[in-house]
Amino acid sequence: MQAAEEKPDPSIRLGARGVTRRFGPVLANDAIDFRARRGTVHAIVGGNGAGKSTLMRILQGVDRPDSGVILLDGAPASFAGPAEAFARGVGMVHQEFMLAPGLTLIENLILASEPADGFGRIDRAAALAKARELEALAGVSLDWDTPVEDAPVHVRQIVEILRLLYRGADVLILDEPTAVLAPAQVRELIALLRKLRDEGRTILFISHKLDEVLAVADEITVIRNGRVVDSLPRSSASREGLAEMMIGEVLARPEPRAATAGTPVLEVAGLSARDLRGHAALSGFDLTVRAGEIVGIAGVAGNGQDEIAASVTGLCRIDAGTIRLAGADIAGQTLAQRRSAGLAYLSPDRAAEGLCLAAPIAENAIAGHHRRPDLCSRGVLRRKAIARHVGDLLDRYSVKRASDRQPAGSLSGGNQQRVVVARELDGDPKLLVACQPTRGVDIRGIDFIHRCLLEYRDKGGAVLLVSEELEELVALSDRIVVVYGGRITGEVMRGSAGLEEIGRLMLGGRQG
Amino acid sequence: MSAQVLGSTSFERPRWLRILEPLGPLAAAFALAALVLFAAGHNPIDVYTLLAVEAFGSSRRIAATLSAATPLILTGLATAVAFRAGAFNVGVEGCIFVGGLAAATVGFTFVGLPAALLLPLALVAAVLVGSLWMLVPGLLKARLDVDEVVTTLMLNFIAISLTAWLVNGPLLAPGSANSATPMIADAARLPKLMPPSTLNAGFLIAIALLGLYALWGNRTALGFETRLAGMNARFAAASGINVPMLVIKMMLLSGAIGGLAGGIHALGNVGRFVAGFSPGYGFTGIAVALLGRGSALGIFLAALLFGALANAGATIQFFSDVPIEIVDILQGTVMVFAVAQLGWIFVRRRASA
Repeated sequence: MQAAEEKPDPSIRLGARGVTRRFGPVLANDAIDFRARRGTVHAIVGGNGAGKSTLMRILQGVDRPDSGVILLDGAPASFAGPAEAFARGVGMVHQEFMLAPGLTLIENLILASEPADGFGRIDRAAALAKARELEALAGVSLDWDTPVEDAPVHVRQIVEILRLLYRGADVLILDEPTAVLAPAQVRELIALLRKLRDEGRTILFISHKLDEVLAVADEITVIRNGRVVDSLPRSSASREGLAEMMIGEVLARPEPRAATAGTPVLEVAGLSARDLRGHAALSGFDLTVRAGEIVGIAGVAGNGQDEIAASVTGLCRIDAGTIRLAGADIAGQTLAQRRSAGLAYLSPDRAAEGLCLAAPIAENAIAGHHRRPDLCSRGVLRRKAIARHVGDLLDRYSVKRASDRQPAGSLSGGNQQRVVVARELDGDPKLLVACQPTRGVDIRGIDFIHRCLLEYRDKGGAVLLVSEELEELVALSDRIVVVYGGRITGEVMRGSAGLEEIGRLMLGGRQG
Repeated sequence: MSAQVLGSTSFERPRWLRILEPLGPLAAAFALAALVLFAAGHNPIDVYTLLAVEAFGSSRRIAATLSAATPLILTGLATAVAFRAGAFNVGVEGCIFVGGLAAATVGFTFVGLPAALLLPLALVAAVLVGSLWMLVPGLLKARLDVDEVVTTLMLNFIAISLTAWLVNGPLLAPGSANSATPMIADAARLPKLMPPSTLNAGFLIAIALLGLYALWGNRTALGFETRLAGMNARFAAASGINVPMLVIKMMLLSGAIGGLAGGIHALGNVGRFVAGFSPGYGFTGIAVALLGRGSALGIFLAALLFGALANAGATIQFFSDVPIEIVDILQGTVMVFAVAQLGWIFVRRRASA
């Protein structure tokens, strides 16, 4: 084994060697290598789906690599779970904070390792003393008796970090820590991280925001499609260089296509909507999709693209604006009404929203169409007609199956998605809202689904395509609208799509 | 959790296994109860033989078993209907009380009406009142995501106490010391099928409803939508199904059937409403629905089992020194094993998904 040959280098506090993790057909981590030196901030940079989260889960002991090892103090190590990772000094602040609601900040700080007196009662004085000590260390001052719910987000984050310190972690993994922060708070966080680093702690900073990475990191590892593209010191990194590494090259540039787009099918004007946390996600958003046109939405996750799709489908409420489908305002309509007006929706969450995995394929293939006159008369399902229809439909989309009655969950990911695409394109919808249409699908399935979308467009369908796969957007879209912070930062036509340009717009640059 | 499993049909396992599967908890429960009997100094085989003979030994005993099964078919059905939409309604017991009182009140108030009018009127009253009783929990679950287990359970206590107060005060039979309404008019009585047995036309109503339920569940768009909503509410919503409205509808339907169970019990068996009207038919109905896996045939067989236990249990204590509590023990253990098995199936299915 390599471990025996290679001498452990104790200056490497945390690292990975050849870490590989496969989920079905998807290679989430492909021989990942990185080395975070003690007393440095090491950034891991990558787009969505690059494999960052999988790597973090492995470093935390939540998941195990199929092959390869974690390096701890330069030597191979493995964690049975997060508790063991903690015991060996590795702690993590998750993107979704993990503080217990209903408790105060100090109670959260000491949770799971409370200082207690001889009777098992919590020693509040000792806890507070420890909290003050950590405060001084971090250079902040907090009101520790505030309930978690009342504390602002950046305070909660600081408590999360202090909690790791309280429990003795000297390696802090921060997953997209600035996603919830305002710019001034980001600067404070960066100052705090620098301070902790200077005291000898090691910080793993996961992000796709290049400015922050360049501001805080000593070393940067870029990953894309589960592979390490490069590891380089801050001094030799540039914003443009990193963006290019994150996004990569498109293998085949699509040909420009003569404008054949027809009448507007989807017209969105002045749309404002909020995300699940209630923050403004879209403001004054305008968008038109015409018949015979695929319009792609590009953006780093969380910049409003999910809310665009949810507003058009009616799954989220909008604050302002109009949404027209084939000329008629649908903003006040339910999803059922929108569907009968010609909307189809490919959910990004196939397992939970796109399909009912426990139900037979046949039922999945008709759900939503089951009240159509050819399938149902006066509220009674026409079983023979349904069986025939489903058989034809699934054959046309080459869904590999033993029986139409087998549960959808027993199909492979690619075949599941074929069922969804078959159902959604059934009945000639006017507009297809396609979110992450090829997520978790293997290469052959991707090709098939892409051809379905193009064929639908060529027959005059309108497609609103939301995808994290930039290559997919470029390959399919006639126009790409780039969003950042809930606004359009630019628009790129088919054929003229320079990836560098899209990448720049995705990171908040303006179109020149 | 249970609703998901109840609502789904599994196609990967052979058919015979699916049919035999619910027998597992039964066998386990009878084995455990046998141990209890043995420890108490009884011969379990003798006791079980006696139970079987008492339940099914003659046409009169079968009639008594079917009569005991009638309310359980209805309460099992009421529970299953809500389950199907993903709502765990444990408030059917309360519906029996309010529905029973409503039917009895109509039955002793409009004494001049002919049977063809009075009987339907009394049953409709039971259905309406039972249905209304579930309106608030249904709305709370659908609109505010308030846990229906809590609200419906609490409503049971209110229903039992409210009806007890009514029959002690405003609706108390004149000259009666018991907490009971006056007897209903003869025209309001459900006809007996095999006199002198208590088996009455209510059994036919229950069977007819089971048949309708099977057709509705397998053949209609609404039945299909309800099943999808119970299995995966997000998917159902994304397919354009109005899930909250469906939950309200199914809670109302569940309450209606629960109220009907009370009405039939009042008009067919008791002849009036008395305090302590139901010996827990609503709760046994939960066991019936769980054991029957939400299918019409399953509900019928499970209701038959518990009806037989209740019927035979009542008589065996006359002929042996076996206490009637053994029936409760059997019923309880069957339920625990049935729920455990469902949980196990659920975990296994999720692991394989």
